[in-house]
Amino acid sequence: MTTVLTDSDDRTEMREALEALLGPVSDPVLLAGGASKEAWAVDAGGERLLVRRAAVGVIHRHTLSLKHEFEVLEAAVEAGVKAPRPILYIEDLDGREAFVMERLEGETIGRRIVRMDVPEHLPVQLAEELAKIHAIPHERLPFLEEARLERMIGELDDVGEPHPAIELGLWWLRENRPPPRMPVVNHGDYRIGNVVVDQRGLVGILDWEFVHVDEPVRDIGFGLVRAWRFGVDEKRLGGIAGVDAYVERYNELTGIDVRPEELDYWELAGNVGWAIGCLTQAQRHLRGQDRSVELAILGRLGAEVEYEICHLLEKAA
Amino acid sequence: MSERPTAQELVEAIAEFLSGEILPTLTDHRLRFRTLVAMNALGIVHRELEALPHVEDAEQRELVRRIRAGDVDQGMLVRVKADVEARLRIASPRYLDRYE
Repeated sequence: MTTVLTDSDDRTEMREALEALLGPVSDPVLLAGGASKEAWAVDAGGERLLVRRAAVGVIHRHTLSLKHEFEVLEAAVEAGVKAPRPILYIEDLDGREAFVMERLEGETIGRRIVRMDVPEHLPVQLAEELAKIHAIPHERLPFLEEARLERMIGELDDVGEPHPAIELGLWWLRENRPPPRMPVVNHGDYRIGNVVVDQRGLVGILDWEFVHVDEPVRDIGFGLVRAWRFGVDEKRLGGIAGVDAYVERYNELTGIDVRPEELDYWELAGNVGWAIGCLTQAQRHLRGQDRSVELAILGRLGAEVEYEICHLLEKAA
Repeated sequence: MSERPTAQELVEAIAEFLSGEILPTLTDHRLRFRTLVAMNALGIVHRELEALPHVEDAEQRELVRRIRAGDVDQGMLVRVKADVEARLRIASPRYLDRYE
């Protein structure tokens, strides 16, 4: 992550608010990243911490509140998942909701990870963590919503622009739905770019704000989306490897037998979801909720994902 | 075809970025001056784009309505893909190399 300049007043207020709760802390550094939530790096009591705080005036549909995200992290760590240890939920940190968690050390930037010398067992580790997430009982997190594919149609309609390629993708997904599987707790954004990796392998899983309940293969297929291969397109699993070892290990641990056509189906679904995601992000800029050139350009770059949808539909025909 | 953000909206986003995020960090007088000149130039582009005729997307809307109703024919994917490709040639031309 890169560091951005922040108003020194803001930084001082953040430091004072944190010190009231945690004792002496280092000077907080605002990290670039998610626009709907701030991330501050800070050290306290010899620990490396990360503070996630709601951004001003941002209401995001279909993402967890910070309180729920904190509870999800607790459940994940309980289940033995490699995830940042949640430390403290704060209802009011200088006027906004926030929580403190462990700050994991390692690489998170996708385009760097695909160029790193990652250990061969990384795909197997990714499968093992995913199997643990899917084993979290839904009752442990009763606030999680079922997020079916149908929800994507509503999201596209909210954008209000005509996108025939996305529409064709949605049509194909309706027509070719594989037999349903028992829904499980889905991470919802399980891919290279949302994991911490170092030379030894997987350090932890990040970005828990899209957790929901749906079929397990949806989570497996999302990591195959071409956008998350960061230019190393021939390696279908996030630009780091083929899918075989990943799926085999997942099957072994869960007793599920993921079929190749299911993977194809959910890979396409992942692309349709991300294409709509690009448009939704651009709308946040266009509607003035969050003015940012980064969000704006996603409205145009979504055409890359639409092209991939067409490509996958051609292959499927 | 309709594209959001429009060229004009993209120019606005860049102008806001320059005035809101870059300019306040610049202390070098020469860089400040050149950034202000660049913002003026963006203003020219913005006004020039304003003079262009509005793009009609009725055809795309009709196509989307048909697909939603399940009225999909054989040649549709080819036409839709060609349209996406044309948009990509503007938005991200090098992306297409990844499919060769």
